[in-house]
Amino acid sequence: MTFLRAAILAVVAAGAASAQEIRVGGLFDLTGVTSDVGKSFAKGVRDGVEWTNENGGINGKKIRLFDVDYGYKMPEAVAAYKRMVGDDKVIMINGWGTGDTEQLKTQVNADKIPYISASFSAHLTDPSKTPYNFFVAPSYSDQLRAWLSWVKDDWKDTSRNPRVAFYYGDNAYGKSPMEAGRQFCKEKGIDLVDEEVLPGVFQDATSQLLNTKQKGADYVYINVTTTGVSTVLKDAKKLGLNIKFGSNPYGFSESLLAVAKEAAEGVTGVVPHVPFGENVPGMKRLVDFHKKNHPDDTHDAIYVRGWTYVLVWSEALKRADKANKLDGPGVKAALETFKDFDLGGLTNPVTYTATDHRPSTKTPIYIIKGGKLVKVKEYDMTRKPEWLGL
Amino acid sequence: MRCGDFRTTYAEDMAIFDSALARGLLAALLVLLVLLPLLATGYWLDVTNRIGIAVIAATGLNILTGFTGQISLGNAAFLAVGAYSTAALTARGVPFLIAVPSSGLISALVGMIFGFPSLRLKGLYLAIATLAAHFIVEFTVVHWESMTGGVNGIGIDPPKLFGYAFDEDRKLYFPILAATVAMLWFAKNLFRTRVGKAFVAIRDQDISAEVMGVAVFRHKLLSFAVSSFYVGVAGSLLAYQARIISPENFPLGVAIDQLGMIIIGGLGSILGSVLGAIFITLLPEALRLLTGALAGSFPGLVQLFASLKLGVFGLAIVLFLIFEPDGMAARWHRIKAYWKLYPFSY
Repeated sequence: MTFLRAAILAVVAAGAASAQEIRVGGLFDLTGVTSDVGKSFAKGVRDGVEWTNENGGINGKKIRLFDVDYGYKMPEAVAAYKRMVGDDKVIMINGWGTGDTEQLKTQVNADKIPYISASFSAHLTDPSKTPYNFFVAPSYSDQLRAWLSWVKDDWKDTSRNPRVAFYYGDNAYGKSPMEAGRQFCKEKGIDLVDEEVLPGVFQDATSQLLNTKQKGADYVYINVTTTGVSTVLKDAKKLGLNIKFGSNPYGFSESLLAVAKEAAEGVTGVVPHVPFGENVPGMKRLVDFHKKNHPDDTHDAIYVRGWTYVLVWSEALKRADKANKLDGPGVKAALETFKDFDLGGLTNPVTYTATDHRPSTKTPIYIIKGGKLVKVKEYDMTRKPEWLGL
Repeated sequence: MRCGDFRTTYAEDMAIFDSALARGLLAALLVLLVLLPLLATGYWLDVTNRIGIAVIAATGLNILTGFTGQISLGNAAFLAVGAYSTAALTARGVPFLIAVPSSGLISALVGMIFGFPSLRLKGLYLAIATLAAHFIVEFTVVHWESMTGGVNGIGIDPPKLFGYAFDEDRKLYFPILAATVAMLWFAKNLFRTRVGKAFVAIRDQDISAEVMGVAVFRHKLLSFAVSSFYVGVAGSLLAYQARIISPENFPLGVAIDQLGMIIIGGLGSILGSVLGAIFITLLPEALRLLTGALAGSFPGLVQLFASLKLGVFGLAIVLFLIFEPDGMAARWHRIKAYWKLYPFSY
């Protein structure tokens, strides 16, 4: 009899404990080809969760993060996803790469699991196709359009159009914005003279750079992560090319400066989440947390990105919890109530609707000047309906 | 009490299971395997399904490398051919029961084409030639976008049999188990036939084999075909299980892993392919559970443990090669022999 009572108590206690705990999956790359930026992002998410739990949690409930390193391998991602949804019973997932996110999109939709990934692929913004996918930044396509707009502004020679080349990895992430870029070049009167495909890991980009030089490009947009961008920049410096380089938010941050050093001077890049320590109201909690827990670590904009993600989805969890609908569809509905949700300047205000998952279309462009990241200008691509999903 | 193992007829000598006990244990194991989906949770069924697929692929590689002595690094490529054939066939409405063997046959054909260099090349040179197969197939898969979906991958509908959809791991477990058992049964029997024995003769000494009247080139090609058929079937099942396949499912690492499976399990042993495939598939899972448990008590070390996983994986393989170079199958036979003579082991 006592045993039975104990068993009942244990079951009740377990039920109570799980009611007080919100299970969230975290799929990160800590060891794979994008681990140069993946580690920073994962750390940001983990710290963000810890901070949220220390500061009231989700209306008193704690977040429990089930984080997995999938090494940027799609089969691992699929297995980890099955494990998180099937065994760990998570109600949403904070994901990472473009390839795995796009692979999982049908599965995510079938299981009704909101999937907020660090891939800004525009293919994930159309809720009629990917209702459960979200991200927190302008899309890769809008970023490239913004950078091309900057090229147009920067180009002073009226005798001819600026010539641009695209460098991208041979993967879903690298290729994601390229079609948008090609179309935008035509619209804007920019000559796309060269496209070079870079392997997943490479130590040398000389042959690609020589091709580009031969085709006379004035600007190059590098759509790979920090390590790759730094290789291209160093080789370009060695060859003494007169080309202005630009890069995406996973290739351009304080870390690029640390790796590429003087070769990074004059490089422009898309910085949708501010660099660490930037003077914006939302930064204080990050800096305080940093001083308290790991004062000796260095952080970058990608770490800030991890935080922003947690701030966005924890707000959605709070709203879903208030509506008493703390499950996949509830969190999705909560996210779709976001209207100009302010993140204290860490990133531009976020808006999702049931018909448009583009969180923002505003893209800030930064330049590295005198060893510092300096903001040049912010471009607003506006919500054109024909660009949804492209 | 009979002490030792005495055979008095050729039939006894040829028997796969040499005692009623062995047959009984195998039957019990099969019953247990059939009942497994009732016991295991969702994710572990994914793992068991991956083990089944790995067993088929490793058996295929063992036929070529372990039994015929032709080293191959093209296994990931043949796996990809099988998987993409299935994707293409199912997209055109070909049913499950036909798609799987057809994918195997397509893969066998591709395997034979890349087996041609084996006429002239041996050892490391053949390994490099099959490595070329890997890169050619990878290139084709990435760039033939209309057929393969390129780097974004391609989706596969769940298999259907008589109107019943095998749309989750729990259901898919049964066709995979059936295929694995059938493929193992065939492989085990293959090496009791003339063809199988010709394979072994080629491995042991190809010139002597030729002198004895074995058509060496024909049998080498046949070995490539049978092996790639196995791997193609594994690829086909993998496509049905993963439901989405992309070039990233078939990196060179997969071919290396499979070589690892047959080396750790035992070259030239069907049992070895099974044990090796189980070991290599479960190793990362075991390490994950272990590091997961440790990371719980030392949260600051999550990053370190993630990398540690890879190091321990390599270490386990090296230790195996040092302490059990003949593979797990040899160890299993030693354990069996010990008990056969127990308690009079002298």
